[in-house]
Amino acid sequence: MADINIKKGHDIQISGKPELLVYPLQKSKTVAIKPSEFRGIKPKLLVKEGDEVKIGTPIFYHKSNPDLKFPSVGCGVVEKIQIGPRRSIEKIIIKLSDKENCENFKSYRLHEINTLSREDIVESFIAGCLFPFIRQRPFNKIPTKIEFPRDIFISGINTAPLSVDLDLALQRKQSQFQAGIFALNKLTDGNVHITYSEDTVSDTMLETKGAVHHTISGPHPAGNIGIQIHHIAPLNLKDIVWTLNAQDVVRIGTFFLTGELDVSNITTVVGPSIKKPAHYISRIGNEMTSIVHDNLQDENFRLISGDVLTGNTSSMEGHSNFYDTTITVIPENDEREFLGMLRLGSSTTRYSLTRAFFGSKSNGFDFSTSKNGSERYVVPINAWEDVLPMDIMPNPLYRAILVEDIEEMEQLGIIECDDEDFALCSFACPSKIDVGGTIRQGLDLMEKES
Amino acid sequence: MLKFIKNNLDKVRDQFEEGGKFQRFYPLFEATDTILFSTDEKTNSGPHIRDSIDTKRVMILVVLTLIPLYIFGSINIGYQNAVSSNLERGIFGNFLFGLFQILPIIAVTFASGAFWEILFAIARKHTISEGFLVTCALIPLTLPPAIPLWQVAIATSFGIVIGKEIFGGVGMNIFNPALMARVFIFFTYPSNISGDKVWVAGPDGYSGATALSVPASQPGENAVSLLTEFAQFDFSWMNMFWGWIPGSIGESNKLLIILGAIFLSYIKIINWRVIVGAVLGLVGTALITNFFSPYSSNSMFTIPPHYHLVMGSFLFGIVFMATEPVTGCHTDKGRWYYGLIVGSLTVIIRSINPAYPEGVMLSILFANAFAGLIDWFVVQSNIKKRMARYAQ
Repeated sequence: MADINIKKGHDIQISGKPELLVYPLQKSKTVAIKPSEFRGIKPKLLVKEGDEVKIGTPIFYHKSNPDLKFPSVGCGVVEKIQIGPRRSIEKIIIKLSDKENCENFKSYRLHEINTLSREDIVESFIAGCLFPFIRQRPFNKIPTKIEFPRDIFISGINTAPLSVDLDLALQRKQSQFQAGIFALNKLTDGNVHITYSEDTVSDTMLETKGAVHHTISGPHPAGNIGIQIHHIAPLNLKDIVWTLNAQDVVRIGTFFLTGELDVSNITTVVGPSIKKPAHYISRIGNEMTSIVHDNLQDENFRLISGDVLTGNTSSMEGHSNFYDTTITVIPENDEREFLGMLRLGSSTTRYSLTRAFFGSKSNGFDFSTSKNGSERYVVPINAWEDVLPMDIMPNPLYRAILVEDIEEMEQLGIIECDDEDFALCSFACPSKIDVGGTIRQGLDLMEKES
Repeated sequence: MLKFIKNNLDKVRDQFEEGGKFQRFYPLFEATDTILFSTDEKTNSGPHIRDSIDTKRVMILVVLTLIPLYIFGSINIGYQNAVSSNLERGIFGNFLFGLFQILPIIAVTFASGAFWEILFAIARKHTISEGFLVTCALIPLTLPPAIPLWQVAIATSFGIVIGKEIFGGVGMNIFNPALMARVFIFFTYPSNISGDKVWVAGPDGYSGATALSVPASQPGENAVSLLTEFAQFDFSWMNMFWGWIPGSIGESNKLLIILGAIFLSYIKIINWRVIVGAVLGLVGTALITNFFSPYSSNSMFTIPPHYHLVMGSFLFGIVFMATEPVTGCHTDKGRWYYGLIVGSLTVIIRSINPAYPEGVMLSILFANAFAGLIDWFVVQSNIKKRMARYAQ
């Protein structure tokens, strides 16, 4: 039980905030799963084009661990398997049937779950293809072999720009969430930690049993699981912990209670280019066209699966990512301002964490994709340090990564880091350096060497 | 008109890009292009949106902060000249006189600075860094108004080339390039600039002592009374604070420097820890010298802390030179120690070193050299804490 108070960081006030209401979306024609987005997974297909699949049917597995299977996120026919460079499997597209069925597995009553053995739980996880919903630290990737973790962490608060309000998303999901927590509890000898906002009113979180409760307050990245782990029980060398999104805990709970995989997601469709930003009922790997359908208000825009800090650019024909519950659309920038660097700036033209412009922190700024400058060498004016609420020194770590000094990276705490926690550093950097990207490079290097 | 410039820039753009006729001069084109029009570069991955701040804005704001110093400097040069020649010219007349003194210095500094910056950008294929604007805006402020222009050109070249470019450009340099320029003149032409004679753009042969050299040259006295009794210039605390004394172009008015420091700290471009650390270091060390002054015949030991603050170019140095982010410490804890070193070394050099009455320039360069070491200790303490946890 900890009360964490985060001081460093920043809530980016971007326009297009989601309404606190949930709307339905029109049913999409296809869904897709992209094996390439799972870091370190070498997919082996279990289906071919033309096969019929149900929701929850395994469609590929990890080469070195056949138990790590990935579920079909829709019911219908495998329409296309897109092959990319070096014969990698880029995308498996499933054409949805009108009425969708799920694979059916064994279900339990809520109180029964608590009496199950670890082996029973693992068996259900394998059968239901639930392991992909778990991610492991260090390195933030799906656990490719089962090593039971020291602890399991769940963030009950989203602070990323325009992300889902979890109080809303978990409404009336108490028993499912509880079932998920009970199941996860069997998978660790340590604790299941759940962290939520000190202002939360969600019974789902407040009344959860079998978990250690923590509260957190402060700006983004307070909601990032890496920040929470750092303040609750930091990773030591050789420690392994698992993390899950709160909505995926509900998914796991639902699976145990009903024996079926629920692929729906409460998703925010947001950003300056969205007409009606709100929460919508979407699903994993949903078609972008059906998500933003009729909801766009700019001609030239960028579609992002995920939030503006960590999401990936997608095309209109694309599909949302497996874990993303935010779809952001922002205008592309093509404007060049005459003598821009000399302008005083106003709350509609500038947004900065420094005070180098007039009125530079509006409440709802129309961000575009402009980089607002060119890449330069590091000018250390504390831009990174001021938005990183961890006892990690970003500048020395950045340098250790650039020179590939593995030992020093480890000493400076890279195993506690993830690129998403450094996204604000990249946002704030006056030299326009992609700090998060470099942290990812460092993590990849560490992983390769270990 | 704007459209016309932009279209013409776009028209010649491909000649400067790779494969074009003038591709070697791309850095020059890029600099002109992006100074005139903000860049249209877009984010690719990672954060799709970025803060409005960029290094251009950072640098240009520092340059803008220096403009009041240039204005006061011009007026003061005119005023000192009027006093030394027994003239009465009025504030505007003084300003114009001073302006005509410093414009050639500014022009020569920027011309030689730009020459080297562009040459290296083309030869080393890096972009032209905005940092040289700040360096070139700082150099004239550290120079006396009557300095020969060829010295300005050589010093600027030394500062830019040896102080910065040989390390790889802005962001890689160890020493502050503007101070490197200053120190070059200091050691190569000491008779002109070592700081024991005043600099006035006045009649030939006109000279006098500086505030710091007054107590330095008369042992066994009380510095404050020496300064108050000094006949040629008004070296009272108030007058030194307001800056109506001869000196380098930008150092004299302490109020403008303090306002600049507050502004730059407020907009988060310089770090206040360096400045506060330096002032604490200066005050602490000055109190120690005061304590030992009865046991020494050195009159410098009797200078009280608040006099040290307004004498010489201490404030100018710590606000605009020591706070330079690249050559100073990069950690907040380190910045405190770095500041303390600058402050206390200034007093030590002023009091104990017989050759140089002014010490702030050398102490900043010295602290620059140690910035990396200080940071190393700070980083090691962070590492030690983590390793202790790992070992559990």
